[in-house]
Amino acid sequence: MKKKILILLFLAIPYSLIPNPSHAVPMDSSRFKIESANVEIAGGNKSSTSYKLADTVGQLAAGQYSSTGYVVKAGFQYLHSIIPFRFSISDINIAFGTLVPSTPSTATTNLTVYFGGAGQYQVTAIEEGPLKTQSLNVIPDTSCDGGANTCSESLAKVWSSSSAYGFGYGMSGNDIPTDFIDGTYFRPFPDRTAAESPATVMTSINVGKNRSSTVTFKTNISSIQPAGSYQTVINFVATPSY
Amino acid sequence: MKFKNILLTILFLTIPYSLIPNPSFAQQVSLSLSPPLLELFIKPGKAIMVAYKLDNLGDPTFLNLKILPFEAKDNLGNIRIKPEFEGPVRFSLDNTDLTLDQPFFLKTNYSQQILLRIRIPENITDGDYYYSLLAETTPPTASEGIGSARAKATIGSNILVTISNSGNIDIKPKIALFSTRGGLTLGQNIKVFDSSDKIPVVLTVVNKGKNMMKPEGQISLKGNFGETIKYDIISKNILAESERLLEATPSATINCDQGREQKCLFSTTLILSGFFIGKYNLSTEIRFGENSPTIFASTIFYAFPFKIAGGILLATVIIIFIIKRKNE
Repeated sequence: MKKKILILLFLAIPYSLIPNPSHAVPMDSSRFKIESANVEIAGGNKSSTSYKLADTVGQLAAGQYSSTGYVVKAGFQYLHSIIPFRFSISDINIAFGTLVPSTPSTATTNLTVYFGGAGQYQVTAIEEGPLKTQSLNVIPDTSCDGGANTCSESLAKVWSSSSAYGFGYGMSGNDIPTDFIDGTYFRPFPDRTAAESPATVMTSINVGKNRSSTVTFKTNISSIQPAGSYQTVINFVATPSY
Repeated sequence: MKFKNILLTILFLTIPYSLIPNPSFAQQVSLSLSPPLLELFIKPGKAIMVAYKLDNLGDPTFLNLKILPFEAKDNLGNIRIKPEFEGPVRFSLDNTDLTLDQPFFLKTNYSQQILLRIRIPENITDGDYYYSLLAETTPPTASEGIGSARAKATIGSNILVTISNSGNIDIKPKIALFSTRGGLTLGQNIKVFDSSDKIPVVLTVVNKGKNMMKPEGQISLKGNFGETIKYDIISKNILAESERLLEATPSATINCDQGREQKCLFSTTLILSGFFIGKYNLSTEIRFGENSPTIFASTIFYAFPFKIAGGILLATVIIIFIIKRKNE
């Protein structure tokens, strides 16, 4: 008896481990079509006469819409209240002091986003041109230490060599890109004058309340860099999601 | 002589004060804009006015208001603001003292009401148009003689405009991905987790229609013995011709601020936590409002107590080893 049960179990267990086959099920009728990809099993109401138009579903509060000609909704519907979106920069004047060749200068500022513990947001950054003097001498954007440690606008790499020159930024704190591994990792800012796209420096799809990060600006110049007041403007743009 | 003495005394008393440096403070920007999102369904030829509130909680500053279009940047709800205005929607301010693209001054702890008029010209084709109302600060003046970067702060509020003459909308929902992440993958499709693992779930929906849509529904987890837990899908907009990772609640969390766990490297819809054992069926059902179709998807995963079994096995081996050593 015991032997029979063991044989039955031995035969039955592998079947229970076989996954149910995946099916991509097209759900359509004469009035609509929904294609489901990467869906393992689909079911439910696949054909109905209640849909209004082909590829058209839903109607916008029909009565109100036809009388006023518009429907307005403010705030995020799922929050049931309008929570203001707040963005702060702790210091907008980021001074490097007098730049000394081969001696990196750094300065920091803090970015804080407050969304009442409720929302999704992003903060992007872009420079309005590289650090330059009025006579157009330029400190180029950093490429970090070079070689395997060559950074880009979207990828931070180590910048610790005193002979690697340029201007860039590092980040620490909440909701920052994962490539800023530690304080030695930097990126160059995207340049608006070179038609580059802003870089996302903070983002979260989860609840964010007083999310804060520190931006470390860094510049290092060579001994042949002409003297002068090098300036640029960095635009930080904070937007909630949709 | 007496006058000279008085003058010297005054100078002696006042000069030290003039030598005391003024304390320097970091110039701070803090702005708040409400409402953070506006959804407008409107017929061609109509116009509405919406009141926004802009608060300055930082130092006094000059601000500039502008409207720029945006598009979905990824499937996480991030946006890409376009550099130039485009589209048929017309924006202006009803404020007597404010104009778009003209700087104005806002003192500390003062609010400015922004009366934004949105007008849709006649004979506009049905469709969606997405914009951001942006309030940007003027950067501080440059410091001479030193290297410096000056920061400009911009805060935005998104405006989603759906133009429809009939009131009908065109949405084409499709589930692009519904799956668990991580764990062991056996064969092509068998996902196996440890019983104590936090299990990330990813649900992505694509909208191939010409109007945005708002998903509503649930993700259900059904265990071996029919026990079922339901998670509500958070109703976030999926823009026209775009894709979005949905979120469900209540979800467990992983602290990604300290460690750099593998699970922190990708975004998830839901994180399942608990003690799982055996086979589990995960399914989702999503609706998009009245008179709209419902879409479905399901997947399965297995969970076994590998860590506990490993611990028991290791403890047994150690005990046997100790007993054997004692007997010897």
